[in-house]
Amino acid sequence: MLSDSTEQVSRPVDPPFSPVLLAGLLLAPVPPRLLQPLFDGILTVVRRRHPDILERLAAYPDAVIGIDPVDLPFVLVLEPWPESPHLEVRRDFSGLSPSAIIRGPLAMLFALAEGRIDGDSAFFSRQLVFEGDTEVVLALRNAIDGAGIDLQADFATTLGPLARPLMQAVDFGGRVFNRIADDMETIRVALLGPALRGAVAQSSRLEEVENELAEMRRTLRAREKRG
Amino acid sequence: MTVPSVELICPAGTPAALQAAVDAGADAVYLGFRDETNARNFPGLNFSRPELAAGIAYAHARGAKVLVAINTFPRAGKPEIWHRAVDDAAKLGADAVILADIGLCDYARRTHPDLRLHLSVQASASSAEAIKFYHQAFGIRRAVLPRVLTVPEIAALCADVPIEMEVFVFGGLCVMAEGRCSLSSYATGHSPNIDGACSPASHVRYVEKGSKVVSQLGDFTINSFGQGEAAGYPTLCKGRFSANGKLSYLFEEPTSLNTLEILPDLIGAGVTAFKIEGRQRGRAYVGSVVSAFRQAVDAILKGEKLPVMTLEDVTEGGRQTAGAYQRSWR
Amino acid sequence: MTDVGPNLAKLSLGPLLFNWPAEQIRDFYFRMAEEGPFDTVHLGEVVCSKREPFFAKFIPEVMDRLTTSGKEVVISSLALVMAEKERQGVRALAEADFVVEANDISAALALVGRPFHVGPFVNVYNEGTLVYLSGMGMKRVCLPAELSGATLAILAAQKSCEIEVQAFGRLPLAVSARCYHARLHDLHKDGCQYVCAEDADGLAVDTMDGKPFLAINGTQTMSERYVNLLGQVRSLGQAGVSRFRLWPHHCDMVAVGRLFRNVLDGQLDAKAANRQLAELVPDAAFSNGYIHGLEGHRLIDDDLLIA
Repeated sequence: MLSDSTEQVSRPVDPPFSPVLLAGLLLAPVPPRLLQPLFDGILTVVRRRHPDILERLAAYPDAVIGIDPVDLPFVLVLEPWPESPHLEVRRDFSGLSPSAIIRGPLAMLFALAEGRIDGDSAFFSRQLVFEGDTEVVLALRNAIDGAGIDLQADFATTLGPLARPLMQAVDFGGRVFNRIADDMETIRVALLGPALRGAVAQSSRLEEVENELAEMRRTLRAREKRG
Repeated sequence: MTVPSVELICPAGTPAALQAAVDAGADAVYLGFRDETNARNFPGLNFSRPELAAGIAYAHARGAKVLVAINTFPRAGKPEIWHRAVDDAAKLGADAVILADIGLCDYARRTHPDLRLHLSVQASASSAEAIKFYHQAFGIRRAVLPRVLTVPEIAALCADVPIEMEVFVFGGLCVMAEGRCSLSSYATGHSPNIDGACSPASHVRYVEKGSKVVSQLGDFTINSFGQGEAAGYPTLCKGRFSANGKLSYLFEEPTSLNTLEILPDLIGAGVTAFKIEGRQRGRAYVGSVVSAFRQAVDAILKGEKLPVMTLEDVTEGGRQTAGAYQRSWR
Repeated sequence: MTDVGPNLAKLSLGPLLFNWPAEQIRDFYFRMAEEGPFDTVHLGEVVCSKREPFFAKFIPEVMDRLTTSGKEVVISSLALVMAEKERQGVRALAEADFVVEANDISAALALVGRPFHVGPFVNVYNEGTLVYLSGMGMKRVCLPAELSGATLAILAAQKSCEIEVQAFGRLPLAVSARCYHARLHDLHKDGCQYVCAEDADGLAVDTMDGKPFLAINGTQTMSERYVNLLGQVRSLGQAGVSRFRLWPHHCDMVAVGRLFRNVLDGQLDAKAANRQLAELVPDAAFSNGYIHGLEGHRLIDDDLLIA
């Protein structure tokens, strides 16, 4: 049996350059407790709209599941106890020993939650990594995939009359977000690709990356002025 | 000449996958209860009784059938769990149950004479005589063929038996004759035949060793992946092993069955139903694979050319094979 | 404990699973006829129909010798029946005048109406299946290797037919349409050049990090370890198991059989027998995990089985 999860070390995922990463940099100074109400809300939505998620995890009442969106400066801890589930925002997992941790870029975690990508494929291509109890991870993956989550619809239902203007804003934001993401991917491939391919010495690579980040920020600012 | 028709039988591990399959054009969905009575007893997967009732309502409202797989072998001394599964499937209006165990076939036949019985691939009925046995003894109406036969062998079989034949057309591929493999229990102590899970997640570990990730099942290393190499689930028969000093995928590469190109041959062989594997996969997989096969089957039946489709994204290791349907696989 | 005195359980020599030269097989069975401590000897090709023709011509002579020496002869049928030729073979078995062990359900259909045995390649896991097949005429079943002692006891308690348990040798774990011996040698099954004959006890398969794990024998996958139930046969016998199967290996099977007989008869304790067995098959590692309800590869060092 897999009893001792501490000896397993995950392959860390490098956060991809993305708008989420930049948003994360902005969020860095924000104390996690200020974000907690948002996640309390998410859990309320899950309990109301998708009770089957927690039901499917009922076989793991003692599980403590860590979710690490690698491009954001905080992590989530899910305790799926059927009677009183918790979803806590924290700076990191220090002082905790989660049964399992799932790490990946936020966009991919969302896509997984909405069933837009195949979890097996994401795991096998190592865009998502996990450590700890494989059974708990698989249970969570199956529970979430099986719930048929649609984040926009879920929040629309929960937010009631506020939903429409908010969703329009989200939709607009989403389109802007996507465009920026495309731009950034182009920049990343153009600038970072060769650097990463040739990078042997860590220090020189770091320096190049920092320079490129600076260059990217400049490009973005220029675009924002134009747009 | 009658126009051939063929049913598309699609997997659902969850209600969301069932909806995805029905919406993508499944003729029937197959699924299991959330326990060891079916061969995909994985954590967080499968249907509660109320979920099955809702799933049947959803499918029937859209003209699709629901087949309930009760295809493990009842544990000695505990047959009630399996009997109850058959009773509940019948009560909730399942269109058929898919069984593998001789004793359970006998129970279903005696207790629910009107319930349609399909023979699971796990029964490993690979010859006309084997299929005739299940037909004569229990009134089995359809057999799912083990993935060991070539297309000409399937054609000969279809001509020789009085019931419908169903074959796998896509997805995970058992390398061994199904239902007759104890590799996983040898390594983990949990029998796929009784407990319903091959290479169970509870015994799977991924361990970092230097720059490599090593996948283990129980006490045994199944594979190792270098930096940038796609990792795989440590299914025993798709691991790398050493024999005669040669390290290789001795049994099978991590690969998925894909028969898109030989679908016309399979229809020509007289097969009644095409089955897509993957109850353990997500609804994204179900949606894309089912709609691809729906298009392909419709095109073939209309006498049109097969549309060009790629399914590499959802295959294991990005690799595909026509498996045992081609003789050279053996 | 009432575990004293002789145990009445019988010994069977299972069908040879490996591809030995035909003359060697003939001589092996001649010796079994003269000296073997087995009540029953199984003949017949179980693994691969391509091997079948070579030994076939010796079968009448071997059967004759075994029968004359007072041994029951049972013909075991092929485990995976697919091709027309294989189906014909099964039908021919059913029409012939000897006891047949069905290793595929297709053989059972052919045998309806006459007494037959069922081998470990047919999935008999529970009371329902046991009782159904007994009703069809099954007189004896050798159960799948992965069943625990507790399960064996439940099935034996049905008393619907003779219960046989695999007690020595590499365990057959899986059967396939694909030949792994051929694949390892970059060949296909059709043009296999009979490379499986190179390995008289099967070919060991190690994990990537060099740990012994499995063995291949043509289309069959086996355990690397040899199951050894010397420590459990007496308690299993008390629980109603009436027969133990030893799989033929390239070792002194007469001596191996005598060890089991002596332990069953209460003339040799299991510990001493285990020491002697280790000398008879010096290269083998042993296992008995399945009988304890654990991983099949484990070796649990105790004689307790059914509490």
